[in-house]
Amino acid sequence: MTVDASDPTPPGGPVWGYGTNGFADHPLESALDVLEGTGYGAVALTLGHPHLDPFADDWREQTALLGDSLRRRGLRVVIETGARYLLDPFVKHRPTLVDAECGARLEFLGRAIQIADLLGADAVSLWSGVLPADTTAEDGWARLIERMRGVVERATHAGVRLALEPEPGMLVETVADALRLREELGSPDALGITIDLGHCVVVEPHGVDGALRAAGELLLNVQVDDMRSERHEHLELGTGELDLPLALRTLAEIGYTGIAAVELPRHSHDAPRLAAASLEAIRAASPTAVSAVNAASPSPRLSLSSPASPPDASGTTPPHAWTLTAGESVRSDPARIDALFAAAGREVGRDPLAGDADPLGLVHGTEDDRARAHLIAVLAASAEPATLAETLDRLYRYGDDAERRGVLVGLNGLVAAGLPDDRLGEAATAAGLELVRDALRANDPRLVAAAMGPFGAAHLDPHAWRHGVLKLVFMEVPLAVAARLDERRDAELERMADGFARERRAASRPVSDDVLALLPRDRVTADADR
Amino acid sequence: MRIFDPHIHMTSRTTDDYEAMYSAGVRALVEPAFWLGQPRTNVGSYLDYFDGLIGWERFRAAQFGIRHHCTIALNPKEANDPRCREVMPHLGRYLAKDGVVAVGETGYDSMTPEEDEVFRQHLALGIEHALPVMVHTPHRDKAAGTRRTLDVIAESGIDPAFVVVDHLNETTVEAVADSGSWMGFSIYPDTKMDEARMVAILQRIGLERVLINSAADWGRSDPLKTLRTGRLMLESGFSEADVDRVLWQNPVAFYGQSGRLNLDAVPGFKAHAAAAEGRTFEGNSVLRGVPAARG
Repeated sequence: MTVDASDPTPPGGPVWGYGTNGFADHPLESALDVLEGTGYGAVALTLGHPHLDPFADDWREQTALLGDSLRRRGLRVVIETGARYLLDPFVKHRPTLVDAECGARLEFLGRAIQIADLLGADAVSLWSGVLPADTTAEDGWARLIERMRGVVERATHAGVRLALEPEPGMLVETVADALRLREELGSPDALGITIDLGHCVVVEPHGVDGALRAAGELLLNVQVDDMRSERHEHLELGTGELDLPLALRTLAEIGYTGIAAVELPRHSHDAPRLAAASLEAIRAASPTAVSAVNAASPSPRLSLSSPASPPDASGTTPPHAWTLTAGESVRSDPARIDALFAAAGREVGRDPLAGDADPLGLVHGTEDDRARAHLIAVLAASAEPATLAETLDRLYRYGDDAERRGVLVGLNGLVAAGLPDDRLGEAATAAGLELVRDALRANDPRLVAAAMGPFGAAHLDPHAWRHGVLKLVFMEVPLAVAARLDERRDAELERMADGFARERRAASRPVSDDVLALLPRDRVTADADR
Repeated sequence: MRIFDPHIHMTSRTTDDYEAMYSAGVRALVEPAFWLGQPRTNVGSYLDYFDGLIGWERFRAAQFGIRHHCTIALNPKEANDPRCREVMPHLGRYLAKDGVVAVGETGYDSMTPEEDEVFRQHLALGIEHALPVMVHTPHRDKAAGTRRTLDVIAESGIDPAFVVVDHLNETTVEAVADSGSWMGFSIYPDTKMDEARMVAILQRIGLERVLINSAADWGRSDPLKTLRTGRLMLESGFSEADVDRVLWQNPVAFYGQSGRLNLDAVPGFKAHAAAAEGRTFEGNSVLRGVPAARG
């Protein structure tokens, strides 16, 4: 077995990955940047153009460098052998194991086994091939058996596992075909099965769950994509007929803990969005699915790019697909943040994160708050300090209320995440403080609430802060939004609260629990007695 | 009756109006950028006004359960003032904002060359930002102004379905109908249409591409004219589905072309709370705040 025993494979779950054949417009390291940043724990590496030429003179060196990169990033890998024109520039995928002449394929698979060994890959995934027009099924099968014997032997010798993938239209088309082949080969340990979830929709008589169960412990590799039953075309999750929740449940039930990588080989033009969207779809289909991701690929880079959620926000769910793509955009060009800030609400929605309990999102924030806070976090991590200060100011000055709140929530997130002041920089801190003061003059409770969060609590002078607390009380905004309340409260605040309570009582109006909580202890008792 | 008022100037209206509108069934509106009565004399004044349209007024409307959207442009009258022309380069930034559903109000006031230039620039902005355009027809020399308006629209290359030509009357409706653009009617005392004439027009031309608004502003006007027109339609033999078509679905279809409409119910809004509780903040009763967790 070549799987690294120290891999932090999470109990009870697949390791989610993405196929490099869906990132053909990215250099390999860039593709890995996106995948790592998105939160994947694995990559399905298709050998060949454009990422890793298995026949280049320096293939060993390139493989070693890749291995280092994967280890640094905490990414697992499975080797895919489905490159289209690697062996014959004129005819896609040929020659195959069922063709009369297949020396090139055998040489390729041999090289793939070597690369898998060097990288510590989970397996080498391969398919059988389409029966040529001039060959009968029996002859094709016989060829396949003979060639597979040789490949299995090489794999066994190298200590590498093979995973045979049934493909619509090929000689081995279903899991049943693959199992039959394996049995005829004497059930070698080195040979397991790859299942493509989308394929099941097209060819499996017992559906995706039937196919997964039939493979059972022999399942070594999974490809994730959607598909419509009448066409072998890999589709974005959610746009075909695959019952993804069922597939994920079944994977859990059979105890599969290998790689499950999204395979969208015709969507490289939209790779970053799809990487994020696919992970989101997986999360949505199974609430427990993505906790596996974070466990499998911890990385120092991830903590800077992860969303700076406001305190108490449900920060355990991963961010919206749009947010991650937008973050990458800001990282590469900070000037893009203005347009993204304006668009955030309509892209990710404005729902309060804590639902009806907090309908304006004052305490826990909203979806668009989270998105904007993430963009601020990315900006703080990647931009020059002067740019940061100027951008914060500009976003606020030219932003509507939601965007202004986004700036403040972003600042709160940076403070809450423990970002040291020197990272934020003097200029940005000063700029932020002016924005907080402006927000405290506003009448929109969402702005005032955000202004009294961790950033305001850290930087407002005592007079302004006390007035901020009282304003919250006036506006009936829950004091839960006021950060460091217990730390900063003083006798002066208690006096102001007491004055307010008297006014309320004089007007025969109720005194809220929040006000009572601000009063000195003896006063609280007196009120409670009334 | 659910109502979407596609043309109403809420910066000039009181909270009583908001409450009455909500009770009448108004759940969404579009407030076009326009002049204020007192002329603006510099760009800053304009930008603060726009900020109010995307900020404070939206918030104010939400306090009353109404979804507020706006249009942005340099209005025809102030297109003649060089100090206000300086706002043109700033429009792009606002046209990207949430809640901005069209370029407008634009068109002619006195048919000057300056108005003509700015009108064409607005149409180009509409095309550039893929936003509909809200066109105001002049009150003086209306028929000629409307014809000229339609010519400029046709020259711009914009999809006519992306344009509404507003403040129409019996003498201008046919030409606009023929052009393929949407027809806007303001039910406004004295100077524009009234409900009875409106219903007569509907009976003649049907409901397709018709938008009905109150255009309520700082003058004598009534934000419930939409409701009154709807009621008269029912009395005149139109069905409830017809009324819903004209007062809700049509404006939603037209402004929905922006991709920016938000028609969700305002979270946490309770209709009775606005009237009944009367909590104040320094005497300002707009601010209801969030219903207290304990309340």
